[in-house]
Amino acid sequence: MTGRDDTRTFFATAVQDNMNALYAVALRLTRNGADAEDLVAESVTRAWVAIDTLGDRTHFRSWVFRIQRNCFISGLRRRSARPTETSVEDLQTDEGELDVASLLLDEPDDFLAWWANPEHRVGNEILGQQIMTAIHELPAVFRSTVMLVNVDGLTYDEAAAVLGVPPGTVRSRMKRGRTLLQKALWQQARDAGLGGSDENDGDTT
Amino acid sequence: MSDTDDRSPPEEIGCLEAIEALYAYLDGEVRDPLSLAQIEHHLGHCRSCYSRAELERALTQHLRKSVDRDVPESLQVRLRRLLDGLGPAGTP
Repeated sequence: MTGRDDTRTFFATAVQDNMNALYAVALRLTRNGADAEDLVAESVTRAWVAIDTLGDRTHFRSWVFRIQRNCFISGLRRRSARPTETSVEDLQTDEGELDVASLLLDEPDDFLAWWANPEHRVGNEILGQQIMTAIHELPAVFRSTVMLVNVDGLTYDEAAAVLGVPPGTVRSRMKRGRTLLQKALWQQARDAGLGGSDENDGDTT
Repeated sequence: MSDTDDRSPPEEIGCLEAIEALYAYLDGEVRDPLSLAQIEHHLGHCRSCYSRAELERALTQHLRKSVDRDVPESLQVRLRRLLDGLGPAGTP
């Protein structure tokens, strides 16, 4: 097998292996099935053109996600009309320093006690019906990051490539986003009368 | 601590440090063996942080199950055609 054949085989296999992820991320970016298909196709085409720039083949996913992001932004710039609910601003805003620990320590322990109660385990109405409501109410930068990592299964490096931010920013957004999500669910539990009384609010030790 | 483990236990960390690292740990992003050992040791001894970790694991499972997005047949066909028709590397 020649080097050229090897490259072609590698590329075809890598695209096939990552088709689900490419489509999931494209759908996350475009929020439209037809646009997502176009984005994946354009990204794969551009990736093949740029295949010689892929140094380490083990980094294919991060590399192709970066190309997909660039394709998406190019498409946004080409169209003056708003094609999606997602904006470049959503993807690029930096939230600065985060005080995650204080947010978490501020959370009442009785939520955790309620959570640990087998009668209220996963599958109950709070987590089953309202979790997506809670996540859609997150600020866009946190929602995008949490969805890319926890729903689409990207690593922090891969999510960073999609979002165009350093991996450290993904890490901090994950902490903040998941913390806000947990607090939103706790509030829903309280609103539903499932979390015990307000008098039990306390500190984590 | 296991009686069969001859190694010294990891230097203990508190809730603050454990929480700081919790999400990266659950997402498989903590690879340093010492940090891993410290977090797992803490979760093994702190009921509050253990409960939080369990909650976060369950939330992630819910999130993963919440979206059903198979690649459409139309895209699969399109990509197959695209890959079958690839020109020389570096060309459209």
